[in-house]
Amino acid sequence: MARRMKKNIVTVTPSASLFEAHARMREHTVRQIPVVSGDGVLVGIVSDRDIRAAVLPAGLVPGFTAEAAEKFMKSTPVERVMTRKVVTATLTDTLEDAIVLLHDFRMNALPVVDAAGKVVGIITRTDVLEAFIDALGVGEVSSRLEVVVPDRPGTLAQLAAIIGSFHVNITSVLSTRHVEAGKRANFFRVATLNIGPIRKAIEEAGFKILDPSQFLLP
Amino acid sequence: MKRVAWIYHPDYLLHTPPFEHPESPERLVAINDHLGKAGLIERMVPVTPEYPEDADILSVHDREYLNRLETACRRGDLTLDSEDTYINRHSYNIALLSAGGAIAGAKAVAEGTVDRAFCAVRPPGHHAGRSVGMGFCLLNNAAIAARYLQARHGVGKVLIVDWDVHHGNGTQNIFLEDPTVFYFSIHEHPTFLYPGTGRRWEIGKGKGEGTTLNTPMAPGAGDAEYRTTFEQTLEPAVERFRPEVILVSAGFDAHRDDPLADLQVTDEGFRFMTRHVVGLADRFCGGKIVSILEGGYETSSLTSCIEIHVRELLDE
Ligand SMILES: [Zn+2]
Repeated sequence: MARRMKKNIVTVTPSASLFEAHARMREHTVRQIPVVSGDGVLVGIVSDRDIRAAVLPAGLVPGFTAEAAEKFMKSTPVERVMTRKVVTATLTDTLEDAIVLLHDFRMNALPVVDAAGKVVGIITRTDVLEAFIDALGVGEVSSRLEVVVPDRPGTLAQLAAIIGSFHVNITSVLSTRHVEAGKRANFFRVATLNIGPIRKAIEEAGFKILDPSQFLLP
Repeated sequence: MKRVAWIYHPDYLLHTPPFEHPESPERLVAINDHLGKAGLIERMVPVTPEYPEDADILSVHDREYLNRLETACRRGDLTLDSEDTYINRHSYNIALLSAGGAIAGAKAVAEGTVDRAFCAVRPPGHHAGRSVGMGFCLLNNAAIAARYLQARHGVGKVLIVDWDVHHGNGTQNIFLEDPTVFYFSIHEHPTFLYPGTGRRWEIGKGKGEGTTLNTPMAPGAGDAEYRTTFEQTLEPAVERFRPEVILVSAGFDAHRDDPLADLQVTDEGFRFMTRHVVGLADRFCGGKIVSILEGGYETSSLTSCIEIHVRELLDE
């Protein structure tokens, strides 16, 4: 978590105005800001949606102007609209924990707190997607291979050895369940254009290479 | 019949792989034999490529990269930058001569000694970046030809049509921020095929935003999808851009028989693409086309498609 979270976090105090919080969001292009007490302890989180939702009802009153909205935002403290029950991550949580938390609690961001409850970072859906892009090897110059293997120990090592025998680096590996029972699908990204001989060697070793056109069938 | 330059040099066969490799001299031997037997070479205008001037190469590549390539060849290295891109002691010179072939084609077309040119060159070029060789490519022949036309013949806007099945990441990067060179690529989708770039939202950057156009094809796509893309995506873009010369990065590895990809383009697909680009060139740039060989690794489809390609260029 410590590696993937953003450490230069923007925070506000509970008494800061909505106007101030909104300005900070725009300045740092973030959509939510942890709210911290004077000693840095997390007391809530405020998002641009919370602010919009707070201003919106006042906007429905006849005669409400942009100046009135600004005055309203300047005179309303963050603590009036912030979410107090914040789902947080800890420094000992893993990236996997963060993914599950973001998904299960339908959050966009998780403040990361230390043992004393102080905010030390924040991790967002964007950070998690970035980790996935890295893990999938997207953007690295490479070819992709999809191999169906029997679900038994040692097959991945066998495949890696075949690829290694061509002096080609594997830049990413993914292993998932396959639709067929008793089988797994292994995805490799390998740093070569010359994928033909590797495919052939893998097939000769008795594995099945998935036909990429099959992936696009509904 | 149109006058078509035939650019070829026997020294292109000197760049030989130190191990079994699909990008081999036999590709050119087969093309030469096939076109000869078909009686097509005698109907083209033979042009012998020369070694290019430094400035023409340096308009695309860094001096430091050229030095590195030259040293690696002299030292006897087997590969450069990645394991799939082999070199031998001739490769530096032959890469220069390959770029020289693209320049010779561009020169003949620009000076009007021919209407069109087909450059049977190797090593190929479209993966080569400013300072990196990869994907069997050492120098970016098409990019060098585009810069040559601009620098030596007062050409303003150049269109590069890259129908090699792989995305030409090198060419795209070289012209990413350049509004004067339009890079169009049709290729197998990067999720499935090397090099993993060329997604539809890669459209150029800064001043070059809008003069890069990528049309990834799903595995299994063939002539029909290619036709639609050329007619509905490439053509309107060319109408807006109005190029003065069209360069083709002519790879033939999207063919259904090619072992390196998963597309289903047939001989007729390549006939259509050539004819379509000829039509665009006739409409917008006085017919000027310089076609530069890139990939294509299955001998029978490679030679038959190039025969069709040349016949269409000859407009016989
Ligand atoms: Zn190719």
